[in-house]
Amino acid sequence: MLSDLRELYKYRDLVAQLVIRDLKVRYKNSVLGFFWSLINPLVQVAIITIVIKVLLLVRIPNYSAYLLAAFLPWMFFQMSLLDASDSVLKHHDLLKKVYFPREALPVSLVISNLIHLILAFIVFFIYLVTIPRAPIYSTALLLPVLMAIQFIFNLGVAFFISCLNVFYEDTKFIVAVGLNALFYASPVMYVSELAHNALMHSHRLPAAFKEPLWVLYQINPLNALLMGYRKILLSPFPEFTLRGAKLSDMPMNWGYLGIAALISILLAIVGYRFFNKRKWGFAEML
Amino acid sequence: MTKAAVELSSVTKSFKLCHGRNNSLKSLALSFRRPRCEELVALDNVSFSIDPGQTTAVIGRNGSGKSTLLRLLGNVFKPTRGKIVVRGRVSALLELGAGLHPDLTGLENIYLNGAILGLRTREIRRRLDDILEFSELGKFVDTPLRSYSNGMVMRLGFSVAVQVDPDVLLIDEVIAVGDEPFQEKCYEKIGEFQKAGKTIIFVSHDLQAVQKVASRAIWLSGGRVMVDGMVEDAVWAYMASIPREG
Repeated sequence: MLSDLRELYKYRDLVAQLVIRDLKVRYKNSVLGFFWSLINPLVQVAIITIVIKVLLLVRIPNYSAYLLAAFLPWMFFQMSLLDASDSVLKHHDLLKKVYFPREALPVSLVISNLIHLILAFIVFFIYLVTIPRAPIYSTALLLPVLMAIQFIFNLGVAFFISCLNVFYEDTKFIVAVGLNALFYASPVMYVSELAHNALMHSHRLPAAFKEPLWVLYQINPLNALLMGYRKILLSPFPEFTLRGAKLSDMPMNWGYLGIAALISILLAIVGYRFFNKRKWGFAEML
Repeated sequence: MTKAAVELSSVTKSFKLCHGRNNSLKSLALSFRRPRCEELVALDNVSFSIDPGQTTAVIGRNGSGKSTLLRLLGNVFKPTRGKIVVRGRVSALLELGAGLHPDLTGLENIYLNGAILGLRTREIRRRLDDILEFSELGKFVDTPLRSYSNGMVMRLGFSVAVQVDPDVLLIDEVIAVGDEPFQEKCYEKIGEFQKAGKTIIFVSHDLQAVQKVASRAIWLSGGRVMVDGMVEDAVWAYMASIPREG
């Protein structure tokens, strides 16, 4: 694996050129360019805000800010996976002709989506200080740490799916379905506190299952990450009542973020090995 | 004694040829039997070595294993059995313009294509004048590739590929598709490489060009080496094997 990494490092300019190509081609021929890709999450956030506030009567001030703080990283995860899934297959022609480290393809796409996330967060901060006039906390300095963990996590998953999709084209459909399920299983459109509240007040679940399920929910690296983004960027939301139960902001459990970091690193290592073992067979898949 | 630039010892490359695609999970789950696969041997126990500075042509009919051989040398395929040693930097003119993007401009494509071939960005920047001159793109450098003619795309690809400054250069039937002046330029460039002592492996159906450029030729048929020797002998033997019409 180390020799593969060295080879990839030798080709770092290729990764850079692929990132530049991806960003250029994505926004070619459109005047608004980058803003087009912001409009999609903004519209979705607006819709979810209305659903949560008006239909479900959850009263959290500035709910849009809490949504965006998790929705933008969610987009980073989703787009990285969708882009990576056909990244190798799309360059089949090239793979058959030229030698280069194959992982440059998925890696460059995850990087270009990371750049995208950084741009989106800049817009997010401008929004934060102008519309809700919310303060920016010093904990926001931890943002690069969270993004780094998520980058490694995305990369690990991307290695698996970009490789598997060469051999089984069902992979990208499974990824699409999986993303849909994960979207609801992770605190994107709701805050983790709501999931905790629903779980603990459930009448159907035997009491013995509640604690283990909550642990399981938190072990999902996406939960730790998305919760982390919210906690470092925004103030704790004020206590409110939901179905007769008091719901208040939970402090961040940093231990789970540590677990998320460990899972991410492990996933990236195993994913890279998985990819490397199969990458020279790509060109022979006719 | 100098070491050979290219050494193949008992190299076999085979592909699995399956009847009916088996790359969906459904077909994998539903087929209780393994899919009917046969082994297609593209190269069969091929051995030879090429000295540094030698220009060797590889000739043979379609499907004889020429392209597989070049891909093995270019490190795109790994051999099924046997060993390949290539000493020095390899560059392949397998198909010009692999990885060019139609929506990027000529200049942007030069950087992308160069990076795919293993050039550092600053190496490309340093040689940009050379590339632009050789490609004769003129005012088209800043327009998207999709407005280019085929000839322009080819010139762009060739001018980047020759900048790799390889020790071993692989050329696969790319020159024959260009027009007269382009071909002349390419052969001129190949001459420069020969003078600089580069090892060249040249695949072509153009037997006249083969005799002009190469001193040695390997005739492949059905993945086996039929003749490996002086270019005239190999070409003659190859021509004699082709049944003539009428």
